[in-house]
Amino acid sequence: MLHYRTQGYNGCAVKYSPFFDNRLAVASSSNFGLVGNGRLHILELTANGIQPLKWFTTQDSLYDLAWSEIHENQVLAASGDGSIKLFDCTANDFPISNWKEHAREVFSVSWNPVAKDRFCSSSWDGTVRIWSPHRPQSLLTLPTHSCTYSASFCPHSPDIISCVTSDSYVRVFDLRTPASASNHLVTQIPIHAGPPAPAIPGQPGGPAPPAEALTHDWNKYRPTVLATAGVDRAIRTFDIRAPQQGPLSTMLGHEYAVRKLAWSPHLSNVLLSASYDMTCRVWSDRSDVAGGDMDMMRAGPVVGAELGRMGRHTEFVTGVDWCLFGSEGWCASVGWDENLYVWDVRATMS
Amino acid sequence: MSNAQQRLSQVSSHFGPGGKKGAAAITEKHPDDIVVTCALRTALTKGGKGGFKDTAGADLLAGVFKAVLNKSGVDPSSVQDIAVGSVLAPGGGATEFRAAALVAGFPESTAVKSLNRQCSSGLQAIADIANAIQSGMIDVGIGAGVESMSSQYGPGAVTEFSDLLESHPESANCKVPMGVLSENMAKDRGVTRASQDSFAAQSYQKAVAAQKAGLFNEEIAPLDVKWTDPKTGEEKTITVKADDGVRQGITAESLGKIKPAFAKDGSIHAGNASQISDGAAAVLLMKRSTAERLGQKILGKYVTASVVGVKPLLMGVGPWKAIPVALEKAGITKDDVDIYEINEAFASQCVWCVNELGIPAEKVNPKGGAIAFGHPLGCTGARQVSTLFTELKRTNKKIGVTSMCVGTGMGMAAVWVSE
Repeated sequence: MLHYRTQGYNGCAVKYSPFFDNRLAVASSSNFGLVGNGRLHILELTANGIQPLKWFTTQDSLYDLAWSEIHENQVLAASGDGSIKLFDCTANDFPISNWKEHAREVFSVSWNPVAKDRFCSSSWDGTVRIWSPHRPQSLLTLPTHSCTYSASFCPHSPDIISCVTSDSYVRVFDLRTPASASNHLVTQIPIHAGPPAPAIPGQPGGPAPPAEALTHDWNKYRPTVLATAGVDRAIRTFDIRAPQQGPLSTMLGHEYAVRKLAWSPHLSNVLLSASYDMTCRVWSDRSDVAGGDMDMMRAGPVVGAELGRMGRHTEFVTGVDWCLFGSEGWCASVGWDENLYVWDVRATMS
Repeated sequence: MSNAQQRLSQVSSHFGPGGKKGAAAITEKHPDDIVVTCALRTALTKGGKGGFKDTAGADLLAGVFKAVLNKSGVDPSSVQDIAVGSVLAPGGGATEFRAAALVAGFPESTAVKSLNRQCSSGLQAIADIANAIQSGMIDVGIGAGVESMSSQYGPGAVTEFSDLLESHPESANCKVPMGVLSENMAKDRGVTRASQDSFAAQSYQKAVAAQKAGLFNEEIAPLDVKWTDPKTGEEKTITVKADDGVRQGITAESLGKIKPAFAKDGSIHAGNASQISDGAAAVLLMKRSTAERLGQKILGKYVTASVVGVKPLLMGVGPWKAIPVALEKAGITKDDVDIYEINEAFASQCVWCVNELGIPAEKVNPKGGAIAFGHPLGCTGARQVSTLFTELKRTNKKIGVTSMCVGTGMGMAAVWVSE
């Protein structure tokens, strides 16, 4: 396990570079993101452990980041002041671009992995915005009317974008549809609804009350499946083709809210979560054994299995990401304890 | 709110009960819980004959205020508002209750209001204070209730109805006397005299047993009052520390011999209806974070309350309608509740509500109720809280419900968690 301390700054998000197998970035904030500066750390895995390549300090907290998919040295950062900043690792001190349209904290940024000249952002102001790195204004605004914690482009289609909000819904937008009154919204999935989950000893069963959704991620192999998680501690997977059918699977076990989810880039059934309960957990949604996504007659959600757990963090874990390169299983996690760990999930599995 | 505070509240919202539901969710402890750190009552005494027959309602209130200040040790100046429920006092008692707070030792900075929601006034006062704390209007408050039925019960308590009110049937029903309409309801709902008498006898028997075992000692604040001996006319000072309406040796058979009070073929009589009484009760409320800061010992928490309307002539069904609403708000089922304190206005309505809700008899009023020791109208809602918390604690149980029917056709209920 490799370790780096983001001294004075509490980690909020971590992402591996899609270009270099040894480079990653951490978005962080002083004073737990409540007040004060932010800092974007560009780090390299070297023979001597994790070494800082560069860092950029910002006026306000940084909550998320996304590597550019078209330029290997560029990283986006989401700021508490409502701005989105594009940094270049070869430049010093200042961002090379700055977009300020969101009225409140920007909580997520995501680069389109298919149409690579687009990225999106989501904010507590209740909007998702779509941008081009070459244009000074946003291309499109998608209103959600609810604090939007996470937005993401679908990795299988350049025009599909999803987000989760504090009103407990997944919204899926298709930009190919006309911009009518629905603002490209094509699907809205109630995260809390659906058939009762089977009770697990010590865990709540039955239909859940609505709870803020904090994170979601598209499966990298199954184009219609995404996973969500949030305040109610449960991780759920949904098939966007059957929005009213309830979750495909549920994964229960975190003791506090789940802050970040990431599907494995290598295995279609494995995902990683980070939680306020100070753990990262590795899960299988058991789609590999439970008849896949085609079993539409299923009685209720499949109960996923926890495969492993990492408990080194001593504060809220806020970010996790998988390494795209090398042997499957390497990942990075950051938290409010100012620690970045790079570790192999296989070491946590018994 | 500043930016940093907004962000902090955003992050703290991530720590809501979330997926936890039911009893597990409401028994969780959170800094913004509304908690009870002291709940006391005076003894309840018989109207016109008992220990408080010569004591003004406001004096009872002052007495229980003093007791709360003593027992809790709370700094009187930290109490920002007091709500007092009272039904019969002219002008709502607003003037004398403010005076009672001052005489009890509260500074002028402690505000006082009176309110009247009939028999649920005491609970409404607590709910008002809890809501004011929840909304941030105040930090520490007292919900109380008081009634001196000895001095204020009588025909004068209801204003004459205008022609307009009389012209509307449901509106005119609001002034039908409680006894008469309960008699009709008992007939209408088929509540037999035998079931009422057996319920009433149990109330007496439970209260006698509880009194003998000293189970009321913790909740009752003894009060020294002046009392005139009706035989000699001599005025003396006595200490009232026990409910004097509780009678030994009552059985369903002995109650079966009493003549009905409201109709010749009726089923309701003095022995299976609540007693006319005097008493006061007060409950000290604040947020958990405040209690911890002030070093107050927490008895339990207020979870939620409900209020519903029913037909004026069927006011007795109030708890039946109000309890499920409160349970739903709290996210629990009737089986999660360990003790129900349901006011026994009349055995007929109480027994009907209990049966209709399907609550096991052993969970209802384990120390007896208003039939055995009295129903000082405005006081009852606050009295139930002290009775409930002492019993939950003694039996090491968690969740309780208090409820009552309300004259003119309403019901209230509240959910509590003992800690």
